[in-house]
Amino acid sequence: MSAQLAATDPHEVADAAGHDHGDHGHHAVVENNFMGLPNIKLAMWAFLGSECMFFGSLIGTYFFYHGKALAGPLPQDVFSIGITSISTFLLLMSSLTMALAVDAMKQRNPATARNFLVITALLGATFVGFQVYEFSHFVHLGLKLSTSLFGSTFYVMTGFHGGHVTVGVIWLSMLALLIHKGKLNPAKLPINVEVAGLYWHFVDIVWIVIFTFVYLLEFIQ
Amino acid sequence: MANVAQPRSQSSVPEGVAGALPASNRSAVRRLWPALTLLAWIAVAALCGCSNEPAPRDTHNAISESGDISSFFYQMLLWLDVAIGAIVIAAWGYALVRFKRATGDDTLPAQNHGDAKLELIWTAIPTVIVIAITVPMLVGVFRLAKRPDQNQQTIEIDVTGKQWWWEFQYKSGTANGLHTANEVHVQAGTAVVMNMTSSDVIHAWWVPRLTGKRDATPGRSYPLYFSAREPGIYDGQCAELCGASHALMGTKLFVHPPAKEVEVEYNGAKVKLDSYETWVKEQLAPAAAPAGADMERGAKLFKDKTCPTCHIVKGLEGAESASPSMTTGPNLTHVGSRMTIAANTLPNTADNLAKWILDPQAVKPGAKMTKIAMTPDEAKAIAAFLTSLK
Amino acid sequence: MAALSVFDKALEPVYHQEREVKYGLVDWLTTVDHKKIGVLYGVAGLFYLLVGGLEALLFRIQIAKPDQNIFVGDTFNGLVTMHATTMVFMAVMPLIAAFSNYFVPLMIGARDVAFPRMNAFSWWTFCFGSILLNSSLIFAEFPAAGWTGYAPLTTKAMSPSAGIDFWWAGLTMLAISSMVAGVNFVVTILNMRAPGMTLMRVPVLVWMMMVIQFLLAFSFPPVAVGLILLSFDRTFGTVFYEYTMGGDPHLWQHLFWVFGHPEVYVLILPSMGIVSEILPVFARRPLFGQHAVIFSGIFIGFVGFGVWGHHMFTAGMGPIADAVFASTTAIIAIPTGVKIFNWLGTLWGAKMTYPTPMIFALSFIPLFTIGGLSGIMHANAPLDLQQHDSYFVVAHFHYVLVGGALMGLFAGFYFYMPKVTGKLMNEALGKVHFWLFAIGLNLTFWPMHDLGNRGMPRRIYTYPADAGWNFDNLLATSGVFLMAAGTLVFVYNILTSLKNGKAAGRDPWDACTLEWLADSPPKAHNFDFTPIVFSERPLWDHKHTADMAIPVPAAAEEIHMPSYSWKPMWVSGGIVLILVGLLLLHTIPFSWLISVAGGLSIIGSLYAWVTEPV
Ligand code: HEA
Ligand code: HEA
Ligand code: HEC
Ligand code: CUA
Ligand SMILES: [Cu+2]
Repeated sequence: MSAQLAATDPHEVADAAGHDHGDHGHHAVVENNFMGLPNIKLAMWAFLGSECMFFGSLIGTYFFYHGKALAGPLPQDVFSIGITSISTFLLLMSSLTMALAVDAMKQRNPATARNFLVITALLGATFVGFQVYEFSHFVHLGLKLSTSLFGSTFYVMTGFHGGHVTVGVIWLSMLALLIHKGKLNPAKLPINVEVAGLYWHFVDIVWIVIFTFVYLLEFIQ
Repeated sequence: MANVAQPRSQSSVPEGVAGALPASNRSAVRRLWPALTLLAWIAVAALCGCSNEPAPRDTHNAISESGDISSFFYQMLLWLDVAIGAIVIAAWGYALVRFKRATGDDTLPAQNHGDAKLELIWTAIPTVIVIAITVPMLVGVFRLAKRPDQNQQTIEIDVTGKQWWWEFQYKSGTANGLHTANEVHVQAGTAVVMNMTSSDVIHAWWVPRLTGKRDATPGRSYPLYFSAREPGIYDGQCAELCGASHALMGTKLFVHPPAKEVEVEYNGAKVKLDSYETWVKEQLAPAAAPAGADMERGAKLFKDKTCPTCHIVKGLEGAESASPSMTTGPNLTHVGSRMTIAANTLPNTADNLAKWILDPQAVKPGAKMTKIAMTPDEAKAIAAFLTSLK
Repeated sequence: MAALSVFDKALEPVYHQEREVKYGLVDWLTTVDHKKIGVLYGVAGLFYLLVGGLEALLFRIQIAKPDQNIFVGDTFNGLVTMHATTMVFMAVMPLIAAFSNYFVPLMIGARDVAFPRMNAFSWWTFCFGSILLNSSLIFAEFPAAGWTGYAPLTTKAMSPSAGIDFWWAGLTMLAISSMVAGVNFVVTILNMRAPGMTLMRVPVLVWMMMVIQFLLAFSFPPVAVGLILLSFDRTFGTVFYEYTMGGDPHLWQHLFWVFGHPEVYVLILPSMGIVSEILPVFARRPLFGQHAVIFSGIFIGFVGFGVWGHHMFTAGMGPIADAVFASTTAIIAIPTGVKIFNWLGTLWGAKMTYPTPMIFALSFIPLFTIGGLSGIMHANAPLDLQQHDSYFVVAHFHYVLVGGALMGLFAGFYFYMPKVTGKLMNEALGKVHFWLFAIGLNLTFWPMHDLGNRGMPRRIYTYPADAGWNFDNLLATSGVFLMAAGTLVFVYNILTSLKNGKAAGRDPWDACTLEWLADSPPKAHNFDFTPIVFSERPLWDHKHTADMAIPVPAAAEEIHMPSYSWKPMWVSGGIVLILVGLLLLHTIPFSWLISVAGGLSIIGSLYAWVTEPV
């Protein structure tokens, strides 16, 4: 190792590696940002990897049991592709507004970002509303959690997705509120919104997978 | 600053170590400790081997080809493992003795960081070994999964694991329709197909001297193929945790001679085994009518105490059911001919039967047979009747 | 030749802290300091080690002899289930968490983990989850379906007792705790290394910790799904595991073992890391082939995800699946062998001393090899048909778990305790502990190979006297008493050395890595200055290589230390409320309101969390 490097001031080395402050804004430690990503973003990526395994297992369970239901109603008896297409479209739109919120924040425009966050949350809430309607409609048609393997797998899988959307709605609303009240460190705002956006897009993508493989495939066959 | 570390030269022993440890070389025991560890292992290993306890369920004393396959791989891997283990432990023990720091030797050993060639070698050799053991293993897997030839005469048995007993329904040949429990009978030299399933939780049927276990999973059927060589009586047990009395879910395998009866040794005693066909004929026959007043009383009590809601006695009026699969308890038509009752838990004696009938849960925790109120005398009468059902 | 005393000249950093640290009990309840959380994990882990060991002792007494009636039926099964669940999730994993919390930041020259409050959240979730799981004994009875909880034995119809409900609820909390910790530590290790510490300079122990954090983050979700499905079956009447409705018991087995096999590497890799740290120190030379040791650990982590089916050879997956899983399993022998041989390479030509940590670390090599080699037998599918669910398996996994994981953790205790407490542990007691434990371990688990060969199934509370299992079982049970005695000596050693131990100083073992640069015990901010790293052995090279001295900056660093916080505990408490509401759903009307309250309190606490000045 070079004596040259040894002479370097550690703070310079640390600074060169870049600073970031995780955990919502404290400067606990010299963060060396070795991977070129802020802590919180890296954490979100790792978390989403973990979530992939989670939804992978749920969707895998759905397909493990696909076609094995011993009693009706079956998917083709209850699915209404039209209604679900609308709610899917709304969720897709929310990804767009979410991207706009992230972008607005990058432009240091918190008010716009806040508005887009609210719109996104509303779209998400509407999606959840559609899901609540869909569930109650299915129950009306005789499909309950305990009716068959289809009922169990369908409700649990889509229910946990809906739960994730709900968590997202709460998160985005909270973020909008905090921005509105100015309670967050302005320096941290872009990254906070961006990370919320990552989560939101992920939850959207999971829905695309579910919509394609669970709903659409049923009608292609 | 609380702890001031002492400046020191490259070779000095750090003070902490020096303080904590007595100078390294003093005691002879310390030099010997790796050897002592080895000795401890050998002693324990020897102790196991030296116990001259018989091993009636030895997995490596197989009576079928499929059991031999498992044993073959055991022998193969045992020698491989002993060789690898011996090399690793010998090198380790040698290093401990040889590369101990001598008293007063404060110089550093060579500071090498590795050796690419060596590392390559000890990656390559295990790779070769792994390939070498995997290829025969694959052959074994497919060999064990092979169904016996369709044209060959086979005995096919549906096995249902239940908490905590085994139901056997014969499906082929002369034994077709035979329905029995816990003790299963086959013919030496004849291929057997067992279809394992369960009606409650997962069980696993295992007779160690015969061959490996197979899970009996509810909602699934899993075939086990074997052909037993030596006539005899072999103990086995459920091997998958299935609830409170998993430990008491035994089974027995009787391998009958094909033609005339033979004498086999079981638990040190001589036992006569009929030919398989004789056994089948006896079991297919309905139960003998109760002979004499005592037996009639027993049979009547059997019905009065509602035993037939769960048990079939074929030939006894009021204790027959249309379909054997409708029953929740073992078929008792020939219960007297069994060696044990309650899934290999008690020897089949009149006393044990009475004890079981009086309080099944006392014999087997959680047993699924209801405890029916009766006097010991009534239980004895029922037991006497059941014993007569040969 | 730079001496460690140069570090004494470093100036104390200039602090910023939003709110002052509270003292006493409140400090322990609200701390976000990785070292204090590490100590909490360590104390909990040791406590549960005693509990799990006591459970083993009890059920071993029952099967010491044939036909005994001390713990019968589900009482015995409950003890076995809780023994395993306790040992795996509440003893060994928290002890690993103790080491990773305390030492990962120190070893990479950081001041804390990436998310200190999330770290506290992991701890409280673990703490409450373990209490919830064990409280089954008070409110119902122990779960008794084995630590593998195979469906359909766990369904409401087959196990009506609430024990299983506590089991899924407790395990769910432990799963959340581990997944969150996994994410936290992956980020910590990737992002917070001291300047100059490239990935290849990261100590092996930290590397192994990173591998297991990935394993935790990616392997827990499947079993979490399995547990969710189980909880829905039991609580809301879904039919995932109802075979009468078409449900397939294999589903649980797959979801469990997709997690379960990576989990066993979670248990062993940290101990391998500890051994890799200790051997070089007392051999006084670098780890032989450090990069190979690191890469083999990563490789084991990857392949570990593709072998789970070897637990299901008797389940009827079909010959093709059996063949695939058997082959992939055998491959793991190769990277593991690389580790074993590189350790031997480290010893070869060394000049070794044998203090207690070294003895424990050395014993890991043969003990783990024995366990690994019997694993290779299991990987042979035709042979495993005989060995599966027999005592041979019990022998296999206790050699790797007790002879491997636990001995490695003991080694770590003796090695690292001086850093944590500032006091050296007693050598003589340490050796007594070692010998009692090592002899007891072999006495207990070696005969189990023989028992397996003699056809003894596992999880049986009684056996007939004529099955040929009497002698081995008696031997096995007698060994447990030696292990118990050794464990008690160990606990006694910790307690007395806290009081009477010799002062350890900064670097009692002449060690290699950064944690020994900090004070013993380290200050709250770990290091007065952030060290710069030039090599794999920064501290060793500082001491022994002239031009690799760690430079001490002339100026004091400015740092910001996180403040204490109640919020992590509140959020965990909210999870407990949600679960308690579900557990009581069919017992107390409107108990779902408790769950709702839990959910709302989580939202409230999170709002307070993000707005709290830190
Ligand atoms: C720390 C935990 C740990 C570790 C490290 C391992 C390591 C291994 N395990 Fe083990 N295992 C368990 C914990 C562990 N296991 C547990 C808890 C169970 C039971 C669960 C239950 O049912 O309750 C189990 C069960 C289990 C089974 C299922 C048995 C059954 O129920 O039927 C199998 C089958 O393949 C298996 C295989 C292996 C293999 C191949 C390894 C390999 O990783 C071992 C590799 C190591 C070596 C091989 C030794 C060193 C290598 C050399 C010296 C090189 C040269 C060697 C060769 C070329 C062979 N294990
Ligand atoms: C890391 C995990 C781990 C550890 C460390 C251990 C440690 C031990 N295990 Fe365990 N074991 C498992 C994991 C582990 N086990 C698993 C996963 C199973 C499978 C379960 C299943 O089938 O579902 C199992 C199953 C299992 C069985 C098989 C049970 C059966 O199938 O019926 C046995 C049998 O002997 C056993 C024994 C032991 C013993 C004697 C120890 C000893 O090493 C313990 C030594 C420690 C002590 C003896 C502590 C003593 C302390 C005191 C006595 C003080 C007490 C005081 C107070 C509490 C104040 N274990
Ligand atoms: C609720 C159903 C039920 C009733 C009623 C019942 N049994 Fe049973 N019986 C069982 C079950 C289940 C078993 C298997 C128990 C086991 O081995 O775990 C069994 C086993 C037996 C056995 C042992 C059979 C063998 O081959 O091992 C005998 C004998 C027996 N019962 C006799 C009786 C008698 C006599 C009565 C009436 C007094 C009776 N049973 C009533 C369910 C019942
Ligand atoms: Cu049936 Cu165990
Ligand atoms: Cu495994």
